[in-house]
Amino acid sequence: MPTWFNAQLVTSALTIIVMVHVILVTCAYLVYFERKISAYIQDRIGPNRVGFDFGLPALAFLKGCIGLGQSLADGIKFVLKEDYTPARVDKVLFTLAPAIIIVPALIGFIIIPWGGTWSGVLHLPFMEKPIVDAGEVVVVGANINVGVVYLLAVAALGVYGVTLGGWASNNKFSFLGGLRATAQMISYEIPMGLSILAVLLLVGSLGAMSIAQYQFEHGWLVFSQPLAFVLFYICSLAESNRAPFDNAEAEQELVGGYHTEYSAMRFAMFFLAEYAHLVTGTAFLVLLFLGAWEPLPFVTIWGDEATGILGVLAKAAIFMGKVVLLVCFGMVIRWTIPRLRYDQVMMMAWSALIPLSLLVVVATSVMVYLGKTGMGWMLAANGACLVLALLAQPFMPRALSNRRVPLYGSRFSPVAGEAVNTAPTDAMALEDRPVQGTAALR
Amino acid sequence: MAIRDDEVIVLTTPPMSRSEAVYLPNIIKGFGTTLRHFFTSFGQGKTSRTMQYPEQRREHLPVLEGGLNASNFRGVHRLNRDEEGRVKCVACMMCPTICPARCIHIEAAESPWDDREKYPKKFEIDELRCIYCGMCEEACPVDAIELTPEYDIVGKSRQEMIFDKEKLLHVYDVTIGKKPM
Repeated sequence: MPTWFNAQLVTSALTIIVMVHVILVTCAYLVYFERKISAYIQDRIGPNRVGFDFGLPALAFLKGCIGLGQSLADGIKFVLKEDYTPARVDKVLFTLAPAIIIVPALIGFIIIPWGGTWSGVLHLPFMEKPIVDAGEVVVVGANINVGVVYLLAVAALGVYGVTLGGWASNNKFSFLGGLRATAQMISYEIPMGLSILAVLLLVGSLGAMSIAQYQFEHGWLVFSQPLAFVLFYICSLAESNRAPFDNAEAEQELVGGYHTEYSAMRFAMFFLAEYAHLVTGTAFLVLLFLGAWEPLPFVTIWGDEATGILGVLAKAAIFMGKVVLLVCFGMVIRWTIPRLRYDQVMMMAWSALIPLSLLVVVATSVMVYLGKTGMGWMLAANGACLVLALLAQPFMPRALSNRRVPLYGSRFSPVAGEAVNTAPTDAMALEDRPVQGTAALR
Repeated sequence: MAIRDDEVIVLTTPPMSRSEAVYLPNIIKGFGTTLRHFFTSFGQGKTSRTMQYPEQRREHLPVLEGGLNASNFRGVHRLNRDEEGRVKCVACMMCPTICPARCIHIEAAESPWDDREKYPKKFEIDELRCIYCGMCEEACPVDAIELTPEYDIVGKSRQEMIFDKEKLLHVYDVTIGKKPM
């Protein structure tokens, strides 16, 4: 057998196959959770009718099921609906955009070590010899030592699908949504990268397993880098276009945003990609800050010790459970914080998050240089950053709110010396509102 | 269309206090509100406002608690019968005249009975066009057409939703118990 065909390869392939399905099913059920949680927060009930009885009397006991069949019904609906392509769209890009957005969403998770290390032994209790004994392997799609960089790179690709979808639709609202998404995702990548940098400075490695290992030895990074954790969480919400940063699909302003013109399965691709991004981003957050597969902080149960297959399943379940809990917390955030206006989103990135994350990176660098990377020292450094930020906050330049921004060179804000006619050219406009004589109204 | 400077009212937002400017304390307060509603309405808890429609209906509630008031609810029409079981309508054409949706179509004919000159040979109401304003009921001089408390009518085609005279008389037979004339 060739040397590259080893136990790690088989484990990786199996992990990828299993986790793609787990993530897709999780996405489907996250939609259900989202609807349920939204409903309860708004004093409604949410989906509670669709079960798994498919109208068959034999399966009547599966009726209802608190609406758990809703996800399946939605999926069937997406497949059966008419896949409509509007006239005068860019057909190639219009077809390509859903594919371009779903691919990065579904390949990002392969560096997440869901199950930690597996001893490589599969031993059924009633058998004398283990079926498989292949030596220690890592339950991860790709055990590469630049995992963090890979995930950042792949996550950044997601913006192409959004932008192309908005551009190809030949619809100004879609286009605006795509533009917003582009600017927003690119802006929020900077504080995201910086807050990851604060973690990497402590860990000293880009590998996913090393980050997990560091946390088992030194305590979860959320306790030693709380500011970076908050910054990263805010940025991951913004990156996956979740409320309160869902300007790209702001229903009240942009109809449906970049996917207005999409229907049926192509729309489902956008929808799925959004949730897959969310799951991947949250899994990354859990890996970086929340101790990967350990259930409790400060208590190391498994660590990076190799465990049997049951241990691997338990670790993966805890990992996924943390992810789902955090995503549900994101849904609570969605119904708590109203959507920011677009300029506020940009202001937040460039004049709040980026300076703060730079401050955290500088503080972490200093602490690493001094060799004081213990939890207490890091907490003190974070506290100092926070105090400094709060002290500096009143002196930060702030935008004038609700200000008219003239478009220089237009006929209403001419460049100095340019002769323009500012009288309305439209006869209807003149009729509507005479140029003279309305000032008396005030 | 130009917006002139004298038309612009500049509003200044009130200055934010120190804790408001950081946003986080108020956001955490907001989480409290959201989660309180989540837990109190969980599984149709005490703040849940939803009525499980086909099982629970507004008719089951007392009027003062948001129940349906059968005496003035405007649902599907019926054609009333007189004491002898004949259609009460005299085909005076008041209701198709007043109808804002133009959904009533009457074909009048010579009455076979002595007490009136005309009677409706055909009486059709397109229940999909109807806006349930109740003006036909108000216009009717002999109280022949009335709106009933029935609201959940379904049909498999548009044709099925055009109620003819027999169907409207049948509605009378079904609903006379719920809403006496």
